[in-house]
Parts: sequence; C-alpha cells; structure tokens
Amino acid sequence: MKNKVIEKLAAHRELGPLLLLIILGLVFYSLSPAFLSVLNITNMIEFIPEIGIIALGMTLLLTGGEFDLSVGALFGFTPVLMFILKNEGFMGIEMAFFVVIAIAALIGFTNGILVTKIGISSFLVTIGMQLVVRGTGLYISEGFPQSSWQAKTPLKSALAYSIDFPGSYFKIIVSLFWFIGMAALAYYVLNKTRFGNWIKATGGNEKAARARGINTDSVKIILFMTTAVLAGFAGIIDAFRIGSAYPVSGTGYELEVIAMTVIGGTSLFGGRGTVIGTILGVLLLRTIRNGIVVVGVPGLAYNIFVGIAILSMMGVHAYLEKQSGGGS
Amino acid sequence: MAKELVKMKDIVKTYGKVEALKGVDFNVGEEEIVGLVGDNGAGKSTLIEILSGAQRPTSGKIWFEGEEVEFSSTKDGINAGIETVYQDAALVGQLSVARNLFLGREPLNQSSFLPSLDEEYMNKQAVRLLQQVGLTSIDPTARVDNLSGGQRQSIAIARGIFFEAKLIILDEPTNNLGVEESRNVLEFVAEMKQQGHSSIFITHNIRHIYKVADRIVVLRDGEKVGDLTKEDTTMEEIEEMITGLEVMG
Repeated sequence: MKNKVIEKLAAHRELGPLLLLIILGLVFYSLSPAFLSVLNITNMIEFIPEIGIIALGMTLLLTGGEFDLSVGALFGFTPVLMFILKNEGFMGIEMAFFVVIAIAALIGFTNGILVTKIGISSFLVTIGMQLVVRGTGLYISEGFPQSSWQAKTPLKSALAYSIDFPGSYFKIIVSLFWFIGMAALAYYVLNKTRFGNWIKATGGNEKAARARGINTDSVKIILFMTTAVLAGFAGIIDAFRIGSAYPVSGTGYELEVIAMTVIGGTSLFGGRGTVIGTILGVLLLRTIRNGIVVVGVPGLAYNIFVGIAILSMMGVHAYLEKQSGGGS
Repeated sequence: MAKELVKMKDIVKTYGKVEALKGVDFNVGEEEIVGLVGDNGAGKSTLIEILSGAQRPTSGKIWFEGEEVEFSSTKDGINAGIETVYQDAALVGQLSVARNLFLGREPLNQSSFLPSLDEEYMNKQAVRLLQQVGLTSIDPTARVDNLSGGQRQSIAIARGIFFEAKLIILDEPTNNLGVEESRNVLEFVAEMKQQGHSSIFITHNIRHIYKVADRIVVLRDGEKVGDLTKEDTTMEEIEEMITGLEVMG
C-alpha cells in the first residue's frame, strides 16, 4: 500500500509541489484571510504570466540538458531596446517589437552555437552572455528607464491589456492568456511530438540520441533560441504592463526561474521535464513570496522560505527517485 | 566467401598531428559476424564511427552493398541500413522501452486534432518485438532506467532487427554485463545472423567474441595487423596480435 503511494508520487512528480501548494495556501489563509482576498489574488496573478513564460522556455531547455543564466538580462534588455528604437524615431513600435524579438533569437542562437559547436559549458556561456546583454542594456539606455510609452496601440493591448471588472478590484491582464496558451503549446511539444521526444533523448543520453540520427546540436540550438525569445517576450509584456522598461529589471530571475522549474519536477541534469510541474513551481514560489508578506513576515526573510521550499522539494524528489528506481 | 556488404578501403583519419587510422581496409560479408578487436586506442571506435556516419574519414573510400557511399551523418548511415549500438549509450534511460524503440523515427497519429506521437502503435509494436526476443516480462511503457544491463543491450540490438538493419554494429556490448547476461547477448548475436543480419562486434576482450565470430580483424595503433577467419587462427594468436607481444606460456 505504502509502496503504491510512493510509486504513484514518483511517476507523477507534479503531485509533490501540488500538495505543498495546497498546504501553504491553507496555512496562509488560516493566518490571514486577506491572502485569498480578491485584491491579493489579482496581485498574484498579475506577475505570474511573465515569470511563467520564462519558466516554460527553461523547462524545455533543462529537459534538453542545458540551462540559461542570461534570461534575466534578456528580460530587461529586450524591452529597453524596443523602446529606444521607437523613442529615437528609428521605427514604429510594431516593427521594433519584431526587430528585438529577432535579436533575442540571435542571442539564443549564439548561446547555442557556443555550447554545441565550440563546446563551452552552458554555465560559462550564458553567464558571459548575461554580462554582455545586461551591460549593453545599461550602456544604450545610459542606465535610465526607458520612459513610458502610454499611447494605446494594438500591440500593447494584445500583450498587456487589463480587463477590469467594474465594481470589483479584480482584473485580468491578457498576458495570462498568452501564458496559458504557451503552456499548452509547451506541454504538447514536450509530450506529444517527435521534437519533444528528441528533447528528452538529447538531455537524457546525448550519445544514444545521436546514434539514432537525431541532430542533438540543432535540438539544443532551437531550445536556446526559444528560451531567449520567451525571456525577451516576457520582458516586453512586463514593460507594457508597467509602462516603462528598466535596464536592470529581471535581475536574479534566472535562478528564481530555474528554482521554479526544478521544484516542479524537471531534472537539472536533463532528460526529464514537466510543464505542469513548472506551472505549479511558479505558483508555489509566487505564493510563498506573496503569502509571507500578507501574513506579516518581513519581506527580507523571503529567501529563507524559498530556500527551504527548494531544499524540501529536492529532498522529496530525490527520495522518490531512489524508491522507484531501485525497486524493480 | 559470402557476398560483400561493406568494403572500406585505405581509411585514414587524423586529428591534428595524431593519426588515429593509418590506411585501414575493412570488409564485412553478408550474414557474417566480424569481431573487431584491439587494445584501447587502437582505432576501433574511430573506424566504426566513420562507417556509421558519425565521423568523416580524412581520406579513403567506403562501399555499402556495392555502391560507393559518403555518409555525412548517422542519419545517412541509418537510412542505408546501419545500426550502431554504443556501450552504455544504447538507450535513453528516461524514456520508455517503446519510445526508445522508435526514437528518431516516431510514428505520428495523423487522425488526432494535432499530429501527435502514436503511443498505441508504438506500445503494440514494442510488445511484439519483446515477445520475439523472449523478453516477455518487460512492460513497454516501463522506463529503461528500471531494466537490467542485459535487457537494455538486448532491446537495443532487437531494435536493429526490428527496423531490418542490414548491418548492426555493437560497441563493447558485453562490457559491464554479468556472465549470464553476456551469454544471452552473444546468443542473440548468433540468432541475428540466422535472420540474415550482418554484425560487427567490437571488443577488447577476444574471449567475448571468439565463440560467435566468423572472422576476426585486429587493429593496433591505427593499423590492421590481422584479418583471419576463425578456422585459421587461435585465441592465443589473436592476443599476440592485439598486444604485439608473444603470449608467455
């Protein structure tokens, strides 16, 4: 009986974070009913799509056996460049959007080439790229926020339109639908397509994948590009939502996103990834961040709780792995 | 001699100043099991990586089924009918047996709303194959991580049979296997020949291959130093060729 439960938990790694999310939600609610107030829920879901979209890219990349520490820098840099291109009169905002997304893709491509063709570890490549991208953003903006660009355009509405509910604090930013759509797409790609199978094979056993004729370098390059584009896209949503682009925004997101992904059950060593787990990981860390503030723990203590959550989830995953792997 | 399946002529491979292969000729007949032996660094792996398409030779020519070929990737090799089973890298541990079986040529279910992997077909075929090779106790949806080393090797080899590979290259398949498991794999290789497949069996341990091989090719320091049918040689002679030293005794 007990083994059955463990087996089930091991096969569905998402159950652990789901359980923890429910428990924490109840704890926070019992400590402060304001946790589940309309205003607080609105606050929580406002930011989830942005960090969540980066996490989707990271999930696929980690499953493919690599990771990217430049996503936070791209999150800041992409919208800064977009607003500069527009504000300096080089082009319209729509054109600027496509140009900076293409540049993000190029940065991802460069990461991919350096990792696969030159053979430098993704840790070194993307930490270097992080400095280059962040530094460029600071340099071209002279460190100043690219100020708001308030006019309503179709692009802004498509990414960050706020759906208000009259007579209530509740609102939904349309980016939530982008996140849901992209999550569904990521789930489909990872679990139902050939490419998804190749991602898992590349991350799980690269040599075996190659022997089967899979071009593992291409798989990784595509994943690096996807991750970079999604990070840039998320940064643009953020900039439209708050009305300006800060060259330092997104600092530290890379580790937060990796933590969310790994808590959800995706392996840091490749071969195993779960999109549903990542969504739960995002919700979990956001809930902790929000919940401890609502219940009155000083915000500065946030990292303690995040650290504990990561360590305990890692412990659970490792335990389940051992139980299920050694069993038969 | 049987009809020729593979002919490699004067294969040279250099890495910078290092000459890994110094003009090697290598042939495999149809329905023949060739043991490719040699010490570590003799050039065995380089030779088969060139044959399978994973690497390109610096110079030299290759014929497969009588036609000259130039493989630029393992995909080309696979399409021609060459399957390579690398030691410790035969299967992806995180994927199921069925998904491993079809890795690289996954069937799609076109009738669903979005084209997606046809899991039902993959599982059915996997069950069929597992029955064929006598591994009936294995669940096709089981993660490969949970199988024994011998089961994994057998599945990897069986995959070559399933896709009707003409040539199956086995890179140290009995390494890390127990006695019983090694014997099963060797039996499997012999059976494969009965079904019309040729194979190259790479090993640095001649004892592992002596029983099943028809012919044995010995490499040393990037050169072919022996090419003998089994009737014409002894294990001791081959061991001398591998090391270049006379076996004391």
